[in-house]
Amino acid sequence: MSDIVGIDLGTTNSLIGVMDSGFPILIADRDGSRLTPSVVYLPETGDPVVGAPADRMRALMPERTLYSIKRLIGRRPGESEKEDFPFAVKSLNGRMLLEVGDQLLKPEEVSSLVLKKLKVDAETSLGHAVGRAVISVPAYFNDLQRQATKRAGELAGFTIERIINEPTAAALAYGLDRLRDRSRVAVYDLGGGTFDISILELNEGIFRVLSTNGNTRLGGDDIDRELVRLLKERITGRYPELRPELDDRLFFARIREIAHTAKLRLSTEDVVQVEIPFLSGNRSFSYALTRMELEAIARPIIRRTRSHCLRSLDDAKLDPVKLDEVILVGGVTRMPIVRQFCAEVFQRLPNITQNPDEAVAVGATIQAGILSGVVQNVILLDVTPLSLGIETFGGLMNVIIPRNTTIPCKAGEMFTNAVANQTSMQIVVLQGERELAKDNWELGRFNLEFEPVPKGIARVGVQFEIDGDGILHVLARDTRAGREKVVELSSAVDVSDEAVEKMIAESLDHAFEDMSERVWTEAVLKSNELLPAVRSALTLVGDQITSNDHRKIDLLVLEVEAALESHDSQRLKKANAELDEGTQHLATLLIDRAMSEAARRRK
Amino acid sequence: MIDYFALLGVERRPAITEEVLKRAYFRKSELLQSDSAEAGELSAVNAAFRTIANPATRIQHLLRLEFGDPGGGQIGADLGELFGLIVKVLQNADQELASLSVQSSPILRALAYRKLDGLRQQLEQVERELLQRESGLLAEVARLDQSWLENTAHARRPLAQIALDLTFVQKWLSQVRERIIRLEELA
Repeated sequence: MSDIVGIDLGTTNSLIGVMDSGFPILIADRDGSRLTPSVVYLPETGDPVVGAPADRMRALMPERTLYSIKRLIGRRPGESEKEDFPFAVKSLNGRMLLEVGDQLLKPEEVSSLVLKKLKVDAETSLGHAVGRAVISVPAYFNDLQRQATKRAGELAGFTIERIINEPTAAALAYGLDRLRDRSRVAVYDLGGGTFDISILELNEGIFRVLSTNGNTRLGGDDIDRELVRLLKERITGRYPELRPELDDRLFFARIREIAHTAKLRLSTEDVVQVEIPFLSGNRSFSYALTRMELEAIARPIIRRTRSHCLRSLDDAKLDPVKLDEVILVGGVTRMPIVRQFCAEVFQRLPNITQNPDEAVAVGATIQAGILSGVVQNVILLDVTPLSLGIETFGGLMNVIIPRNTTIPCKAGEMFTNAVANQTSMQIVVLQGERELAKDNWELGRFNLEFEPVPKGIARVGVQFEIDGDGILHVLARDTRAGREKVVELSSAVDVSDEAVEKMIAESLDHAFEDMSERVWTEAVLKSNELLPAVRSALTLVGDQITSNDHRKIDLLVLEVEAALESHDSQRLKKANAELDEGTQHLATLLIDRAMSEAARRRK
Repeated sequence: MIDYFALLGVERRPAITEEVLKRAYFRKSELLQSDSAEAGELSAVNAAFRTIANPATRIQHLLRLEFGDPGGGQIGADLGELFGLIVKVLQNADQELASLSVQSSPILRALAYRKLDGLRQQLEQVERELLQRESGLLAEVARLDQSWLENTAHARRPLAQIALDLTFVQKWLSQVRERIIRLEELA
């Protein structure tokens, strides 16, 4: 019997497991560790280094140490906000590429190095070759991200038997010893880079996903980034002359490590002494970071998961009170503030029995067991997370397969010619929930050929099929010959190379710089709106901030007022921006208050 | 066309309990997985469940099987009135949401958010109204279901009307809820 391994290819860590006498077992590497950091260090000469040894190179060789690659896999340039990595990310011919020295790598190539290492670990431990694998992906991954992950597996030498959704895998891990139960569970999965929420119904061995939602760019990395910003602020507060040095890549990598470690410790401790010895010359930095400070930073980020939770409950047609359990997975759910947040949204204490780092890998291993026949009487009914559609005339999205449809699924569409003798028609395939085609992901496009006939006479059927991996296949049916042929989607985004992107960014940044009068007027308008707003915010929730913060806001207000007198538009713009930034916390408090007032009224 | 009722092995009628339907669906899925059926069969069973689980699509499928077409035409007069109100509330919501989403100052957004409570109440009011219609329509389906075997032909027109009304009520409900969630999102 050939083994199938289960793999969790995570943003931060990856794991591999195999079924052993009916139980899912995670495999440790030579150093006895089951967690392999998803980090690859590419030395100038020699083989790539993967895992913990690579992780240790992060602060030393930031330009050659690649991490959080999952945030780039299957992505297209310009799809969303720029990531700040200390290594170089290029866009070329509509693809994201990593540039290390003179090497250009696709994200899936980097991920395949991590997978290869796991493969070797498993083979060493089992004493024989392993060729087949189940790999987990965030439930909210789109078609392109799934395909790229599958390709990473193939590049590592695996046959990919199934792509499984991470929260579904976690539910399997939770439910395997409760196969007689009937219950409804929500899996809240907040990892290093991605967030998923899935609601499942467990019914005597049948795991049916009712709905899923999420954000593939929301996770612990975002908290780290904000924490780095806070620490930099504290450092420049003490050593203003160090400001330019703080933008150095090496320094960024170092402080990022320190911030990350401090964040982890603040899940169990109330205060952590952040020490940066020999910051510059013999200047050292030491700062007592409190859990409260961290939570003030994390709160707005965690709050972004709320609407996803509400949507998935809505789609599952469930009230939170109808859930039996809320299971937490993903490292970030160790933070007490995340647990409180879940308790609020779902109106119950979350279940923290699952190991947040291992549940997904265990579940992927169980799925491998189901496929190889070792695990019986378990059935998975999963769904496609995103609506699939095509672009219609006028740039709208026409949904063909709605989100949360159980997979595999198929839908057929009939196309005809809009004008006489039209010989072809371009079909643009989209994924997403927005009404306008351009706001969704374009999966690709293809051409349908028509016979030259009068308008509306041609008939070509196209079948869209989403398989058990959540990956799309398109078939065109020639109605006359009765033949079906697989349609290859091609990417149309071959234009957005870096030069174009840079041009656009610059044109936006600088287009109005010359028109300083206009800049001035706009900045004054903004100040006139902002100043009274800050004042009224202070009367509403000013008592909830420290006197220190209060003083800081007062200073920022003074600076805006002084800038208004100065008639210096750059200064005013900067003062406005700093006041925006400095009142972020105040805004959060205001919204908290509005929410609790609304909740009280509704009761 | 495939008879989804037959495919799942459930009675072909307007109403079916969730319990019965799920049992049939799970049984069928188990059967298919054990003899490693091809994706096409699984897709058909999934589509059957999806169609029958939703009362609107279930009735339309039923009418198509019984009479060759799902009937329908225009939505009921009272729904038409409600529609006018919904359009207004939705437009209002979209305007507010649009102006709020371009606001870059956190503090200005927070203050604007406080003022949106009225809008949220409007949306929730419409949602309640729609839920009421929905349960009214479903009660009507249950009534017609009771005399389905004796009165199949008579039930045709009222069922077609109900299916159409339900389709619209469901669509509006999801539009209204989407706005409520987007309000939350802006916070």
